Amino acid sequence: MFIDFLKKIFDEAANNKALIWRDASFTYRQLLERLEYWQDYLKNENIAPGDAVTLEADFSPNAVAALLALIEHGCIVIPLTTPSQEKRKEFSKIAMRTAMIRLDSADNAAILHFDCKSDHKLYRVLRNIGHPGLVLFSSGSTGKSKAVVHDFSRLLVKYKIRRHNLRTLSFLLFDHIAGIDTLFYSLSNGSCLITADNRAPDTICHAIEKFRVEVLPVSPTFLNLLILSEAYNCHDLSSLKYITYGTEVMSEMTLKKCAKIFPGVTILQKYGTSEVGTLRSKSKSSDSAWVRIGGEGYQTRIIDGILQIKADSAMLGYLNAESPFTDDGWFVTGDMVEVDGDYMRILGRESEIINVGGQKVFPAEVENVIEQMPNITEAVVYGEKNPLVGQIVCARVTPGKTESLDELAIIIKSYCRRFLENYKVPVKISIAENNQHTDRFKKVRKNP
Amino acid sequence: MSDNEIILKALYDAVEQVNIDLPADQKLAKSPVTVLFGPGSSLDSLGLVNLIVAAEQKIDENMSVAISIADERAMSQKNSPFRTIQTLADYIDILVQEKTNA
Repeated sequence: MFIDFLKKIFDEAANNKALIWRDASFTYRQLLERLEYWQDYLKNENIAPGDAVTLEADFSPNAVAALLALIEHGCIVIPLTTPSQEKRKEFSKIAMRTAMIRLDSADNAAILHFDCKSDHKLYRVLRNIGHPGLVLFSSGSTGKSKAVVHDFSRLLVKYKIRRHNLRTLSFLLFDHIAGIDTLFYSLSNGSCLITADNRAPDTICHAIEKFRVEVLPVSPTFLNLLILSEAYNCHDLSSLKYITYGTEVMSEMTLKKCAKIFPGVTILQKYGTSEVGTLRSKSKSSDSAWVRIGGEGYQTRIIDGILQIKADSAMLGYLNAESPFTDDGWFVTGDMVEVDGDYMRILGRESEIINVGGQKVFPAEVENVIEQMPNITEAVVYGEKNPLVGQIVCARVTPGKTESLDELAIIIKSYCRRFLENYKVPVKISIAENNQHTDRFKKVRKNP
Repeated sequence: MSDNEIILKALYDAVEQVNIDLPADQKLAKSPVTVLFGPGSSLDSLGLVNLIVAAEQKIDENMSVAISIADERAMSQKNSPFRTIQTLADYIDILVQEKTNA
């Protein structure tokens, strides 16, 4: 009953491709068959409505069918994609799962049952009204991961309106709100969702060319890597109509470069959080970071420069943290924004602002400048405590070719001085030894 | 070279780095009596922070000792260690000795 509207669409689009996975296509008819199989599977395995079930999977045919079956069965689903076993263990414990379904790389399923007291007041809310749930873990790039609990039936409401049928690449992850949004947007329009074997720029470009992808939803960090890799030169990407980006602040330089590389493509900013879902949005133009956000079921307001959102489909709460809602039900996003009429521009996370002698520095602004330098692949800017001025600006960079740290520091500082006020110029510069982003392609601004 | 000479040399290297960003008439002289911070200094607080961070890096490179020059203790000294290059060198000497004897 929760996914009746989807089943109707699947029926209508029975012969259309629903998924391309490992270069093979699966139609909506096959997806319906898989769904039936999974509904039987859950019954045979004695999974009951209200059970908390982790689904360790990616966007495979069985993963999508199992997810839909779990929703229809009224279960609380916890999708997990993270490659780190430790994280999966930690998350499974927080989510108090009673069963785990794992899909291996050949899409074969294994199930394990656990004797676990799966009791939490938010789970009780869902079980009392008989609704399916969704548990997502916030990225934790600035601290501990929080377990967000949604009423899945409320999240699905917005997909009941038919929108555009576009071939979309599933770049964002299965256990991330943006990945879930991509999946349901695609399913609810009878569209084809294309999965790539990995998220390297060349693999993604190859998939776009081969399957004539029209929508590429990504993170700004990935766009940066794509530009630097120049992989777009080696493939025919003329099928692309939209590039959407979100989840972190976009560097204007990246945006402008991207608009130049993909002149016929509309580049749109998306805004969403694990807590309230993905809002509808409209960018001022392809090379502008100014965006209008909202849409049906969402209200926005700005208090003390910070964006707050009221959403019909907001989460019920966190499993492992206090409620972040104001007394009147607004979610405080923690994102500082600048406003111009209807439009706003995201400046950065309030928690990541660096305070140098009382003056505010947004990491993204400094990163934006450093990343314009020819020899820099990636820059991450963060604050470090300093007794003289409170905090100092530090930059950890990934240079394209090797240079001595001394020389690199001198060049970066003098370059920054040309574009930034004195207090924004990094005092400490170091060279990154590893990747500077998470497996969700989000920058890590931690002080080492 | 004695520790004191190594420290002075590290400070001069740090001065050189900071001088790159200072206008010609405000560049610091490489001399023990050069005023770093306070009346008669051409450094503002950020300039001083840059000098200190550069000095910490140079000390680490040349003496393999990781010290933190600007902390609560430095701020609470009776006589500011940041007055001149010499007073800073003396203060660093104490920190280095503590670290190596620890």
